[in-house]
Amino acid sequence: MSLAIHTEVKEPAETPEETAKLAEKVSVRRLNFYYGAYRALSDINVNLYQNKVTAFIGPSGCGKSTLLRILNRIYDLYPNQRADGEVLLDGANVLSPKQDLNLLRAKVGMVFQKPTPFPMTIYENIAFGVRLYEQLPKADLDARVEDSLKRAALWEEVKDKLEASGLSLSGGQQQRLCIARTVAIRPEVILLDEPCSALDPISTAKIEELIDVLKRDYTIAIVTHNMQQAARTSDFTAFMYLGELVEFDETTRIFTNPRQQRTQDYITGRFG
Amino acid sequence: MDKQHEHIVRSYEEELSLLNNKIAKMGGLTEQVLGQSFDALERRDPELAAATINEDEAIDTLEKEIEEQAVVMIARRQPLAYDLRQIMAALRISNELERIGDLGKNIAKRAVAVVSEQQPKQLALGLKHMGELALGQLKEVLDAFIERDADRALKVWYKDEEIDAMYNSLFRELLTYMMEDPRNIGLCTHLLFGAKNIERIGDHATNIAETVYYLVHGRPITDQRPKGDTTSSTPVALKRSAG
Repeated sequence: MSLAIHTEVKEPAETPEETAKLAEKVSVRRLNFYYGAYRALSDINVNLYQNKVTAFIGPSGCGKSTLLRILNRIYDLYPNQRADGEVLLDGANVLSPKQDLNLLRAKVGMVFQKPTPFPMTIYENIAFGVRLYEQLPKADLDARVEDSLKRAALWEEVKDKLEASGLSLSGGQQQRLCIARTVAIRPEVILLDEPCSALDPISTAKIEELIDVLKRDYTIAIVTHNMQQAARTSDFTAFMYLGELVEFDETTRIFTNPRQQRTQDYITGRFG
Repeated sequence: MDKQHEHIVRSYEEELSLLNNKIAKMGGLTEQVLGQSFDALERRDPELAAATINEDEAIDTLEKEIEEQAVVMIARRQPLAYDLRQIMAALRISNELERIGDLGKNIAKRAVAVVSEQQPKQLALGLKHMGELALGQLKEVLDAFIERDADRALKVWYKDEEIDAMYNSLFRELLTYMMEDPRNIGLCTHLLFGAKNIERIGDHATNIAETVYYLVHGRPITDQRPKGDTTSSTPVALKRSAG
């Protein structure tokens, strides 16, 4: 079984055959990002493909969460943070000042590291966001809540206690509730920022199975410290280091025979 | 081991059953190649032999597929415990099957080589029985793998002794034919190599049996298997006959 890992062949940066057939849902072009004067990302070029899961891995501070926060412009909430370059969602630049941010965040949903259920009932946790964007009759809203909880693989566990507080759920259930809340608004892209880092292995496996199912309908980006999780869940993997994108390729390729020595060193625990 | 629960992540489950199916398919093909090569040798049928030689390629292709899938699964699924053993078993068994396929192919090539020999076909009768025994062992151990039945695998492991014993007697028998009449030497040499190949096939089947046992129990077979092949120390006392 030879993987020929240690050879550093200068291969042409050909696009993998598969990618030729893929639709670019999100396309990041020459992106730079600044926290005040500090340049946190430099010249990032990467695609998120439709109905695929793209994982971002790299050591702490490499800029992977920063990149995710740009995709739905969460960073806009903070002063002195600035991005230049382009982030194209279906061809339209979301960094443009003309971009409607509420609309963008409805299209690009986000789930954070720590589950963040609202201090309200399970039902309201989901209905609340939906009401912001749509006026639905009660029956339709009920159906939307049920559908979202089913998509998040939580329905069976909470269907008899929809009026209980979202905070009464376990950590893993809370995280799935947050995913249900994101899904309820019918986004096109889902951003997951370390969604399992506070969860036990069983809850993690449930979220990972959920990611597998959700990608049939959505485009997914996941940031994770846990590169085994990236290997398990993603179709494409991007390795970032010191604000740069070192390597982007099919996950199978990255984890069996990466092109870059730095990627190889990182995923094998040889980083010096 | 009790029946395994399914993984929460369904795609993992699907990959494991795909791997299993590939082993089963490879096993079926290997049985087919062996059966045909024995028939071809017995009947001295060059067409069947040629077809059999070609079929071995499909076995090699499957071995590569299994290896690739196993490597990707190790990298992406980080298999542990029984899952890890399943993937290691798939790698090992596909290796053994590939070797068995090669030995079958070699027997088929010998079938082509002996086509023009004029000796009575009874000379190959012993070989036929030995081949049947080896094929039975292979079928049995593949069933043991599919069923995850360690006891059945263990029976195969012990039964290899019979093939070894048969090989020893065949070795002597063929030696006798050659001493009787030098015109037999060409055919008998091929038959002898064929017998050796079958003996090796038996050994590969016992390797698979060991892997099945390890897969089920997570530890190797500790018993000592009697080594039955004594031909390497059998003296060849050729009497110098006049002329």
